[in-house]
Amino acid sequence: MTDRQSILVPIRVLAGESVPEGVPELLAHSHVVLLGYHVIPEQTAPGQARLQFEDRATERLDEYEEIFESAGATVERRLVFTHDGQKTIDRMIAEHDCMAVLVPNATGPVNDVLVPVRGAVGVDRLARVVASVFGAMDADVTLYHVAAADTTDDDVRTLLGGITDRLVEFGMEPSTIETRIDRGRDPLDAIVDVANSFDTVVMGETDPSLTTFVFGMPAKQVANRFLGPVLIVQRERASAEKDG
Amino acid sequence: MPEQPVDVGPGGENVAGEAPAAEPEAVTDDAILHDDDVELERTIGLIGGLAIGIGTMIGAGIFVFPGLAAANAGLAATLSFAIGGLIALLVALPTSELATAMPRSGGGYYFISRSMGTAYGAIVGLGLWLGLMFASAFYLVGLGHYASAVFAELNIALPADPVIGIGLLFGAVLTALSIGGTENTAKLQNMVVGVLLAVLTVFLSYGVLDAVGVFGGGTVPEQFFSRGYFPVLTTAALVFTSYLGFAQVATVAGEIKQPGRNLPLAMVGSVLIVTVFYVVTIFVATSSFGAERLGEFGETAMVEVARDFLGLPGAVAILGAGLLATFSSANASILSASRAVYALSRDALLPRKASKVNLRYGTPHVALLAAGGPILVLVGTGRVELLAEVASFLHLIMYGLMCVALIVLRRRNPDWYSPSYRVPAYPVVPAVGALASFGLIAFMQPASIGIGIVVMLTSYLWYRYYAGDVTLKGDL
Repeated sequence: MTDRQSILVPIRVLAGESVPEGVPELLAHSHVVLLGYHVIPEQTAPGQARLQFEDRATERLDEYEEIFESAGATVERRLVFTHDGQKTIDRMIAEHDCMAVLVPNATGPVNDVLVPVRGAVGVDRLARVVASVFGAMDADVTLYHVAAADTTDDDVRTLLGGITDRLVEFGMEPSTIETRIDRGRDPLDAIVDVANSFDTVVMGETDPSLTTFVFGMPAKQVANRFLGPVLIVQRERASAEKDG
Repeated sequence: MPEQPVDVGPGGENVAGEAPAAEPEAVTDDAILHDDDVELERTIGLIGGLAIGIGTMIGAGIFVFPGLAAANAGLAATLSFAIGGLIALLVALPTSELATAMPRSGGGYYFISRSMGTAYGAIVGLGLWLGLMFASAFYLVGLGHYASAVFAELNIALPADPVIGIGLLFGAVLTALSIGGTENTAKLQNMVVGVLLAVLTVFLSYGVLDAVGVFGGGTVPEQFFSRGYFPVLTTAALVFTSYLGFAQVATVAGEIKQPGRNLPLAMVGSVLIVTVFYVVTIFVATSSFGAERLGEFGETAMVEVARDFLGLPGAVAILGAGLLATFSSANASILSASRAVYALSRDALLPRKASKVNLRYGTPHVALLAAGGPILVLVGTGRVELLAEVASFLHLIMYGLMCVALIVLRRRNPDWYSPSYRVPAYPVVPAVGALASFGLIAFMQPASIGIGIVVMLTSYLWYRYYAGDVTLKGDL
C-alpha cells in the first residue's frame, strides 16, 4: 500500500455543481482536497461576493465534506472567491501538493480503470496515484498505449511492464493489471473510444507546448469527451514555478 | 511577503444594526484569507494594474484638456501638467507604502479609516464615491464632445447640440453593460490602453519633430508665460482630474497579485508614463496653433491639431482614440465607484444592501446603479470645468489625508504596520505631498470649492447620523 495521495476535487459550488454520484467511493482511499470556488465577473470585488454567498457555500461544502468522510476519505477544504478559476485551481495544486485533479462526473461502482500511458515521463507519479486510489478497491486496471508507427511492440511492452512492476511494488495484485496496445490511430480518439467501456480514466498531464496551448491539454480534452470521472495526474512542478 | 493581517477589530453598529464585516486573518501574495479557510483570490497582474491607472488617466486629460488649458495658461500649460504630475507622484509614493501595508479593497478610504478613524474615513469614503461620480460625468461629457465632433466630421447637421444627449446615452449604456456582466472587461481595457499609447506615440513623435523644426519652420512662437504666472497654478488645479487614475489602482488593491511589488510599480509607473505623455501633448498642441486658437477649439482641440499635422486621417485617428479613451476612463471610474460603495457597506457606513450581488449576473447591481444614476444627473449639467474641479477637489482632500495618515502611522508604528515598500525621504515626501494637495485646492474656482465643502459636510453629517457608533480605527 502506498500512502494516501492528495487529490484535488474542484467544485463550482454556487454554479450548481455538486459531488456526483460514485465520486466519494472512488476517492475513499485518498486524501481529498475539496475546493469550493465561485467565479465572479470583473466588475465585482471578490469580497463583495463573499459577504453575500459565504454562508450558502459553506453549507454546501459541509455537506460534501461529510459525504467524502463517510465514504472513508480524509478531507481538507477551501472556499475561494475568484475572477479566475484556473488560477485558483493551479494555486491549490501547488499549495496542497496535489498529485492529481479530479474532473468530477458521475460513475457507478468502479470495476474497470483505464490508464492511458503516453511515454516514460511521469510514470512514477502515475503509478503512485493509481496504486493509492485503486489498490485497495479490487478494481481492474488496464494500462493502455497507442503506439506510433516506428515503435515496436517490444518497446511498448517494456514501457507498460515497467509500470506494472511499479504498481505491484506499491502493493497491487498483479492479476488485476492488464495491458493493451493499439496502433495506427489518433491517440486522442482511440482513448476516448476505448474509455467508453471503462468506469474511469487516469492519465498524466503533458508538458505545456504550443500545441497544448492552442488545443488544450490532451487530458483535458479527454475529460471533456468522456462521460465518467477523469483523474488528471499533475506533472512535477518546479517549486519556483510562479507567475509575476 | 509574510502574512500581515491589519489588526483593527472594527466594532459598533450603524442605525440599521449592521456591524462592519470582520477583517481577514491574513493577507498573502495570492489571496486574502478569512477564517474557516475562505479565501479571496488575487487575479490582477502588473499589466492589469498599469492599464487601470493609465487607462483612467490618459482618456480625460489628454483629449479634453489641451484646448481649455492652453486658453488659460498659454504654452505654460505644459508646466501646469508637470506640476499636476509632480503632485500626483508625491502622493503616489505614500499611497504605495500604505497600499503594501494594507492591500485591501477601498484604497484611500481604507487607509484613512484604519489610521485616522471612522469620521475621516467616512468623509473620504463618501467623498471618493461622489468624486468618482463627478469624474465619470466629466469623462462622459468629454465623450459627448468627441462623438459630436464625429458628426461634424461627417457633415451631419443635428437639430440641437448633441453633447449632453450623447453623454447621457453612453452613461446609461455603460451602467447597463457593467450590470449585465460584460466578460473580459480587463482584457479589453488592456487592449484599449495599448492602442491608445501606440496612436499617441506616433502622433506625438511626429508633432515633436515638427515643432522643433525638422519638417516645417520650427514653430514655438510664443512666450512661455504668455498669460502670467498665476494661471499656471489655476490650470494645474483644473487639469488635476487627469491624474486621478492611480487612486483607482488603489481601490482594487485587494485583487492585485503580489501587492508588495505590483502596487507601487503600477501606481508610480502609471503616473510617470502619463505625465510624460501629457507634457509632450500640450507642448505639441500649443506649438502647432498657439494658445489663442487652440483655446477656441475647446474640448476637441486635439482633433484640429492632428488634422494640422496629418490631414484627415490624423483627425480620424485622434477622434477614434478620443472616443476610446474617454469611454475607457468613464468605464473604469464607474467600476471604481462601485468598489467604493462595496468598501463603505462592508464597513457599515452604507446599508449592507448597497453591495448586494445580483445572483443572475454576479454583479453588484445596487452599487452600480447608485453610481450610474447620479452620474447621469451630473452629465446633464454639461459643465466640463466644474465637474472636473469638483472631482479634483474631493480627490485632493483624500490625497492630502493619505499623506497625513502615513505620517500618523509611522509615528505610532503599530505592530501590524509593516509595509514592504517604504517612501523615500520620509517625512519630506508625505509632508510636501499633503501641503501640495491641500495647497492646489486654493487655486480652484470658488464654485467648485463650495460644492466640494458641501459634499464633505454632508458626508460627515451622514456618518454622525447613520454610523456614529462604528469604529474602524486600527489597534495601536
